Amino acid sequence: MSAVTREIELDGQVQGVGFRPFVYNLAQRHALTGWVVNLKGRVRIQVSGDPDVLDQFADDLVRLAPAIARPHIRSVRQVGFADPGGFKILTSDSEQQADIHIPPDYALCDACAAELDDPNDRRFRYAFNNCTQCGPRFTIIRALPYDRRNTSMAAFKMCKCCAAEYHDPGNRRFHAEPVACPACGPQLSFSSDGIVESDPERALERTIKAIRDGHTVAVKGVGGYHLVCDARSQRAVANLRLQKNRPHKPLAVLVTPDWFERHVNADDVTRSLIMHTARPIVLCDVEPGVLADGITMGMPSTGLFLPYSPLHQRLLQSFDGPLVATSANLSGEPVLTDNVDVETRLGGVCSAYLHHNRAIVRPADDSVFNIIAGKARPMRLGRGYSPYELTLPFELAEPILAVGGQMKNTIALGWNNRMVMSSHIGELTSPRSLSVFENAVTDLQQLYEVDASVIACDAHPGYASHRWAMQQSSAREVIEIFHHHAHAGALTLENPAGDKPWLVFAWDGTGFGEDGTIWGGETLLGVPGNWRRVASFRPFRLPGGDRVSREPWRSAASLCWHSEYNAYNAPKYELLHSAWLKGINALYSSAAGRLFDGASALCGICEQASFEGQAAMLLEAYADSHAVAETLEIYHQNGILLADWRTLPAKMSDDSLSLTDRASWFHATLAETLVEIARRCRETYGDFRIGLTGGVFQNRCLAEQALKRTAESGFETVLPQQLPCNDAAISAGQIIEVHSRR
Amino acid sequence: MSISQETHISLAHGNGGRFMRELIDGIFFRHLNNPLLNTRSDAASLPELTSRLKMTTDGFIVNPLEFPGGDIGSLAIHGTVNDLAVSGAEPKFIALNAFIEEGLEIALLDRLVGSLAAAARNAGVQVVAGDTKVVSRGEGGGLYLATTGIGCSVDGLDLDIMNIRPGDKILVSGSVGDHGTAIMLAREQFGMSGDLKSDSAHVLPLTRAIYPLPGLRFLRDPTRGGIVSIMQEIRQATGLGVRLSESGIPILDPVASVCSMLGYDPLYLACEGRVVAVVANDSAQQALASWRALPDGENAAIVGEIENSSQHVILETELGGERILEELEDDPLPRIC
Repeated sequence: MSAVTREIELDGQVQGVGFRPFVYNLAQRHALTGWVVNLKGRVRIQVSGDPDVLDQFADDLVRLAPAIARPHIRSVRQVGFADPGGFKILTSDSEQQADIHIPPDYALCDACAAELDDPNDRRFRYAFNNCTQCGPRFTIIRALPYDRRNTSMAAFKMCKCCAAEYHDPGNRRFHAEPVACPACGPQLSFSSDGIVESDPERALERTIKAIRDGHTVAVKGVGGYHLVCDARSQRAVANLRLQKNRPHKPLAVLVTPDWFERHVNADDVTRSLIMHTARPIVLCDVEPGVLADGITMGMPSTGLFLPYSPLHQRLLQSFDGPLVATSANLSGEPVLTDNVDVETRLGGVCSAYLHHNRAIVRPADDSVFNIIAGKARPMRLGRGYSPYELTLPFELAEPILAVGGQMKNTIALGWNNRMVMSSHIGELTSPRSLSVFENAVTDLQQLYEVDASVIACDAHPGYASHRWAMQQSSAREVIEIFHHHAHAGALTLENPAGDKPWLVFAWDGTGFGEDGTIWGGETLLGVPGNWRRVASFRPFRLPGGDRVSREPWRSAASLCWHSEYNAYNAPKYELLHSAWLKGINALYSSAAGRLFDGASALCGICEQASFEGQAAMLLEAYADSHAVAETLEIYHQNGILLADWRTLPAKMSDDSLSLTDRASWFHATLAETLVEIARRCRETYGDFRIGLTGGVFQNRCLAEQALKRTAESGFETVLPQQLPCNDAAISAGQIIEVHSRR
Repeated sequence: MSISQETHISLAHGNGGRFMRELIDGIFFRHLNNPLLNTRSDAASLPELTSRLKMTTDGFIVNPLEFPGGDIGSLAIHGTVNDLAVSGAEPKFIALNAFIEEGLEIALLDRLVGSLAAAARNAGVQVVAGDTKVVSRGEGGGLYLATTGIGCSVDGLDLDIMNIRPGDKILVSGSVGDHGTAIMLAREQFGMSGDLKSDSAHVLPLTRAIYPLPGLRFLRDPTRGGIVSIMQEIRQATGLGVRLSESGIPILDPVASVCSMLGYDPLYLACEGRVVAVVANDSAQQALASWRALPDGENAAIVGEIENSSQHVILETELGGERILEELEDDPLPRIC
């Protein structure tokens, strides 16, 4: 058989992952000649050899690719025979137009971890060790192509040893852009009370000592700073909570794999998720008593994650115990990333800082997952997943920028059949959130060289993202998408194939509805771009505007007043009751999230919340899945089904029932009501697939029962796995909806 | 039939005849009587004035007409006088239009005009011209007032929003949100307005006290939209940012507690007797001291400053966070999950 020459082009995750040295070594192994070159976001290979061997080579390109690479062969074509005699890696060509893929940040690989522990290695204990298979990417990239000069590592000139590795195609640090060693790379420094310790080892020692002494230290990681303290010390945890003004919201804990195996009864899904190279925070059931009580504040599960950078590895090794590691920020803001900023803004929260001098180009909060019905469900996609990309089931006619919602804000950029999402931005109420939001808008478009001609925003006129979008309306078309339509649109991405319409249950806390009321318990029938509200909850007033979200007793009071149930009638409620009667700052809502708040408050579990969802989470903590479910009464009004919750106040206030009985009954009854709505819709409208989305379905007890009960009634039901079901998915849904309407 | 025998306003009180004459003479002229107000002339003759004149006009609609701490009559004078005062003028003359709804109780009208006259005397202004109209039942909220005020510019005073510079301090002369809260409670007949009174007052002692300060840049009276609306006005005119400190803003306990119960933000609620001053940093303490020495200024405070590091109106919360204070929505909707 005679030798031929083929040109193979690949895209997908092929840059910043050691793909070219892999190709080089693979070509050597198959004794092929030719070259490989990085185009922008793509790799082109020319190889000459026997056709059989070339076939095998192409297979191996995908099959044997580095663990963190995700190559897709885009084209293979035969070209004129060429035999350059040997295989070469050619220099990058930034002029080429091609699809751009930006790698996420990767967790420390085994090879680099071994070097950390090897006293004979020149990177022994080095907190910034990395190679093509691990290390920071997204958070250090300033521009493309992904070369060191375009990253925050440009500030560090490689030493001779590092440069040699960087240029050696056989080395695992070949073109590892953040390559570094103690002689030439970033370093740690410790700062406390204005005194700086710049010796890296002593800086780490001082950090460990401060933590042992019960202090909180702000530690600079990959996507931002963490506030770190001893996770076994009740006093240290209480102190951190007090200083950060975070009285109840659960804190994430950084643990070693050994600790995880010893103290967590984990299934395979949990184990493989927590070991994933993105190292997300995973909600786990931890053995009681091994962590300070103040970490979860009564919630049944604990957010754990494993060390993802050499620095975190060293911290854990040196401290020898679990560490609280919570985003260093002011409530609701994106995580802090800048050395000076963190000392200025967190001055009241902590007084010790472990800094380093590698700049973080953009914040990336830790990602968070929960396991529901045996599958991993994202709650927040950040470090390790950002920039998060999904392939759209269609081609967009023009690039769309979707600016998301107000809470848990993310933005998304869609073009061709691609959609890329920003990292978690948070609540758009503070100037810092808004500036991170504005940077993300510019950043995503610049990185991917896409200039959006259409902006999609939420229909709520008071959202900061909506206001921002409206300011752009002279230059770009702005399209408003209703909140729950966006939720439904995002849900369909989970399983876009198939002809059946969807029946989407979009249950959350609030969203501006088509009729000007506050939606949040909606059942939408249809397909993207064409949703019809077919069911909801009986509307009730939310007395006190935005305050209802932090004061569950307001929902409880309103439910009682509507149900004429004899409660919340003390003199101190008279003023609010009159406002409620007259509709003063008391809009109508159908939000399921507020029913959870009301139920939780009526049981006496949570009347005042310090964070969103607290009342519902505490209620869920009491619930099991053994309750006998009832169905709320469902009635027709104005062509839609409404579920009537007016039996709730009496049931949830019934002290003859245990809290577990009440909480379980509530979850089972809402799940059964959902199924009953679906059954009635099937009678009326024919067959459909069911989707469950909106922040309420982060509730495992509810979601699992809804999945189980709908399955028992013969429905196919989808609970999101690709995108969070909460408002982080609004931006993605806006893109789906804008496209589908056109 | 004389005015004293009628108990309510009828359309006849606006027809140009006897009823109308009796209404004007028996109520308006009786209360407002002064040498310049001449019911027999269609225009007032004013004395010669030496300085440049400033003129302002305003309309007053308030429900209820009488509320704790004031009524529409005194409010009309205070509003007009305060607009002149914060513009750097000594108020002198006022022209008044009254649109009276058929069916308004005459005794109430008498009280309101009496209150208006007393407020004018108190502020040292004269109502020199006026007109009344009666509108059919259902076409007006009892009584609408429209005023035009004329004042004399204070020499050497240069008040202009464009004078504002980064680093300038923002002062407020007293607690915020009193009027808005009192009116809301009174209007909705919540029956618990006991501790709450409108701050309706003229601000002349306050403005006069700081006119001489060399660092005085800008004055405004926070009415509709509260102090946030003034900050938004500053931001939009100058392109500079405003930083307010939550803990520094004086809010009376009953106002705070009603607002917190009903879910309102007092920073967006109207005042009717307060002044917001922007002064150069080095004059701020002096301005504060001058205000605090006055009975109406004892709660005065430095509430924030002008900055060029942002272009937002930012509230530094008591917990150390930062919140953007957006321009008032027509209809604030809950935004939070």
